[in-house]
Amino acid sequence: MKPGEVVQRRRPNQRLLNFLAWLILLLMALPAFWIVLTAFRPNSEINSWPPVWVPQEITLDAFATMFGLNPEERMRVPVESYMRNSLLAAGISTVVAVSIGTLAGYAFARFRFRFQTAAFLGIMLSRAIPGVALSLPLFILFNQMRLVNNFFGLAAVYIAMNIPFSTWLMDGFFRQIPQDLSEAAYIDGCDYWSAFWRVELPLALPGFATAAIFAFLAAWNEFQIVSVLSRSAASRTFPPGLFDFTEQFTFDWRGMAAMSAIMMIPAIIFVILVQRNLVSGMTFGATKG
Amino acid sequence: MRLQTRVQSGSDIQERRVTDGRISARWFPFFMLLPAILFILVIMLFPLVYSFYVSLTPYELLKPNSLQFELSRALRNYQTLFAESIFWKSVGNTIVFLFLSINLSYVIALSLSQLLARVTRGQGIMRTLLMVPMMFAPILVGFQFRWFFNANVGLVNNLLYSLGLMQERGQIAWLVVEPLGMFSIIVASIWMNLPVLTIILLAGTLSLPQETFEAADVDGANSWQQFRFITFPLLAPFSYIALTILSLDISRAFDIVRIMTDGGPAHRTELNWTYVTRLAIDNTKFGLGSAMSWVTVVLAVVFTLYFFRQLVRSRVVQ
Amino acid sequence: MHHKAKLLIFIVVLMLGTGLAAQDMAEPQYAGLDMDLSGINIRMANIGGGTYEAMYESIPIFEEATGATVEIVALLDGFAIDQKLKVDFATGAADYDVAWDHTSFMAQYTDFLLPLNDHFSEEELAAFSPAILDAATVDGNLYLIPRHADISPIHYRLDLYESEEIAAEYLAATGEELTVPTTLEEIDRQARFFVENGHSTFGYTLAGREEALTGRFYEMHFASGGSLFNENWEPTFNDEIGVAVAELLRGWYRDGIIPVDTTDRLWDGVAQYFCNNDTAIKLEWYGWYAWFQDPANCAVNNNFGLARGFTGLSVGGDAVRPSGWAGAHAFSIPATAPNPGAGAQLIKFLSSERVAYEEAQLGYLPVRDDVWERIIADAGTARNPLDRERLVLAQLQVSQDFKTPPLIAEWIPFSNIFYPHMQAILLGDVSAQEGLDQAAAETRELMADAGYYG
Repeated sequence: MKPGEVVQRRRPNQRLLNFLAWLILLLMALPAFWIVLTAFRPNSEINSWPPVWVPQEITLDAFATMFGLNPEERMRVPVESYMRNSLLAAGISTVVAVSIGTLAGYAFARFRFRFQTAAFLGIMLSRAIPGVALSLPLFILFNQMRLVNNFFGLAAVYIAMNIPFSTWLMDGFFRQIPQDLSEAAYIDGCDYWSAFWRVELPLALPGFATAAIFAFLAAWNEFQIVSVLSRSAASRTFPPGLFDFTEQFTFDWRGMAAMSAIMMIPAIIFVILVQRNLVSGMTFGATKG
Repeated sequence: MRLQTRVQSGSDIQERRVTDGRISARWFPFFMLLPAILFILVIMLFPLVYSFYVSLTPYELLKPNSLQFELSRALRNYQTLFAESIFWKSVGNTIVFLFLSINLSYVIALSLSQLLARVTRGQGIMRTLLMVPMMFAPILVGFQFRWFFNANVGLVNNLLYSLGLMQERGQIAWLVVEPLGMFSIIVASIWMNLPVLTIILLAGTLSLPQETFEAADVDGANSWQQFRFITFPLLAPFSYIALTILSLDISRAFDIVRIMTDGGPAHRTELNWTYVTRLAIDNTKFGLGSAMSWVTVVLAVVFTLYFFRQLVRSRVVQ
Repeated sequence: MHHKAKLLIFIVVLMLGTGLAAQDMAEPQYAGLDMDLSGINIRMANIGGGTYEAMYESIPIFEEATGATVEIVALLDGFAIDQKLKVDFATGAADYDVAWDHTSFMAQYTDFLLPLNDHFSEEELAAFSPAILDAATVDGNLYLIPRHADISPIHYRLDLYESEEIAAEYLAATGEELTVPTTLEEIDRQARFFVENGHSTFGYTLAGREEALTGRFYEMHFASGGSLFNENWEPTFNDEIGVAVAELLRGWYRDGIIPVDTTDRLWDGVAQYFCNNDTAIKLEWYGWYAWFQDPANCAVNNNFGLARGFTGLSVGGDAVRPSGWAGAHAFSIPATAPNPGAGAQLIKFLSSERVAYEEAQLGYLPVRDDVWERIIADAGTARNPLDRERLVLAQLQVSQDFKTPPLIAEWIPFSNIFYPHMQAILLGDVSAQEGLDQAAAETRELMADAGYYG
């Protein structure tokens, strides 16, 4: 048991507890399992009646069709392009948004200044604006600035969208770092910037990772904005790409499942890489400061 | 109001550094905030101001000449909106949706976090499993649950049939029948909300001081009493953090609803968000849709502000 | 503009007599390949799906012959593409050269479309149904090139209508012979009989959302002698006939004659029910024929027959007429297209005799005379008699029953007002009269805002 976990206090039904936790979490994860399974099943089994629960046949057909390897179906889905656009938009906007959020969070955590509360609330509340209220006015403005179907336009929106939460998380993180360190740095002759850059920032890196998870997933999974701002197949990301499987006459659930499975791989890798920091990073300074 | 929780030594720093030739303590925080504020002003505020202007005009998408501001008719869209029964229905549905989705998400996440905090084996894997719904784009959650709740080939009806609880194929139209439509979209949104809430509450639970529990043990308090009188009150700041985050993100549920029911049938699951697109795009009344979207923004901000205030208050108490 | 709707009645098929005599017809020809478009990227926003696929598969031939590349910027369903086109047109962002269009949708877009007269010669246009082209012409400007025509015959399951036992049972129950229905009231009786006696899961199906629902109501309403609007464009669908039709649908929903998730389903969803042998009767577009007949997809293959659209409810008296909600899918060029000339070439290719012929073989009703000749000649040698009969039936329906909705810009906005009210009636939230009255009041506002009442 790691330090900090709840000390076990007289718990005769520990096994039951463990079992219950496993059961609930497996149930929660069931949809993901079902999606992956669906991607590998033949269509006849997916739509069959009465339902077939245990797969009788495994096929890579859906993936072959998606990548254009199926000789019977010439329509293909530009998965590579979706992957590239999604990775670039989510990756770049995450790095920039979390960096900007780190600067802002540091300012809120370490300084007192005029309009501080107003600035903090203003930044936070900008996140509460529903995408649906933003997407069309943005489109009309971006259209005049020639930023539609443009990677930088999309990334800029994702950056703005992810700043508030990153700021909040980093603010909490900096407030958990003991004050003495930066003060020692000032005595050693550091200015504000180098105290931040050399002393405090390295300590806040786990927070950076936590904020990055949220920023990355928010951008990776965003639909409303990108569906309005990226109007060509070449500039689309995965979420609007899912609509390639809903067409006039058919709903290709299997094809969608196959692409969803591919779409989730980078997200899973990313979350596994940083999940160690996740729980400890989510206290938002609630207990200290 | 956040000042109470702010570090107290800022002024000391200021005194010490006033003579520094470079950026002063007065300007340094603004310098740090500048990029954040610039981005938010340009990307968020600018379009909102524009959409407010549009909401004061009778603009229709396919009639470019209708984008004209006239003072005497400026509030007409808002008047039209408030006079429509569907508007009030969408507001009512939104309140029901938010109330149930947020409260149920919170209760489930709280229980789950208490359970997870006590698990002795496989915590790492469990936390990873817990995060699974986070990988799902809300739009995919929508497709997923639309499929699950499909009357004819859906997982839920298939399951009911295989368990012998349903006699024929496709008997329950989950997305159509009242109130199952609202129920279905709420279930989907709860599923999507759980990971973040649970993680925050789990983080909070694990950070609570152990001595308190040990003392309670000595006093012979049972598990429920410990939770009710120690854990739950101490978790208050975490609870409000979680709820604030949820309120910030809840509009992502729009993606789910638009795929599952799109506000239908007959406006039964119409929410503020679906109504915005119905007015602005489907009906091309962009001015009216912008008015609706402003109403939505104001409600969202008020809602989030409420949780923020609670959060600050709970911290002050501590 | 309304008179054009009536003109559509005179469509292609009437001039076919000679086609049947033709013997060794030359190979059908592609068109639009005679221009060097090297280096040009033609962008197209269109609808997707199984039955459009043959068209997309022919595009590489065009690319190879002209040197152009074709980029599909959007593949959406008809209602989603309508949303996209509206936003793009409104903001001047329609940066593609070919856009999907439909006779029922076109009037909304005309301000934002390029007149096609300069891009198509008289000779090229002569191949198409003059009535459709006429309907697509506003102030002398032609705005679309048709792709295929749409009208629905009754589809009915043979296992139900060819069984002597069921016929005897029906006779005993109703005192009538069980024959293929010709009126809406017969459909009502038979559909109810099939469901109540366990012969079919559902008696009837129809799409329950969007313009699909509006259109099916419109069709039942005019078949019963009604009209959505009077000559002054005041809504009249809340009349006695409208209420009777709405009551009929509401009763079907209440009694489980139509599926419980009707309001959640669009074209593909309801077609699936027929495909699975779950529906006794339904109206369906001709274009689904190949899909229904494919044993790999549909249990209903070789188990269905086709009949002329029903006549409406007797409440309409002498004014009843056969159903035939109709229109045509089409291509247009946005006014903001970067390469309109190249777009026109692509349209010529996609609407050419050869491509249209390949699609007609899947079941689509062509809008070109030469293609009609070919498929009729082909049907003469077809093994399945239905292949031939359906063409005769289609000719009859297209020439006599073809009725488009009002070709006004307000059709889709009207539909967006109407269909949620119709859903509410169907689901039993309001009474038929109440729901239709509300829809009529809102429609009157729409029409007033659009300047119809002076």
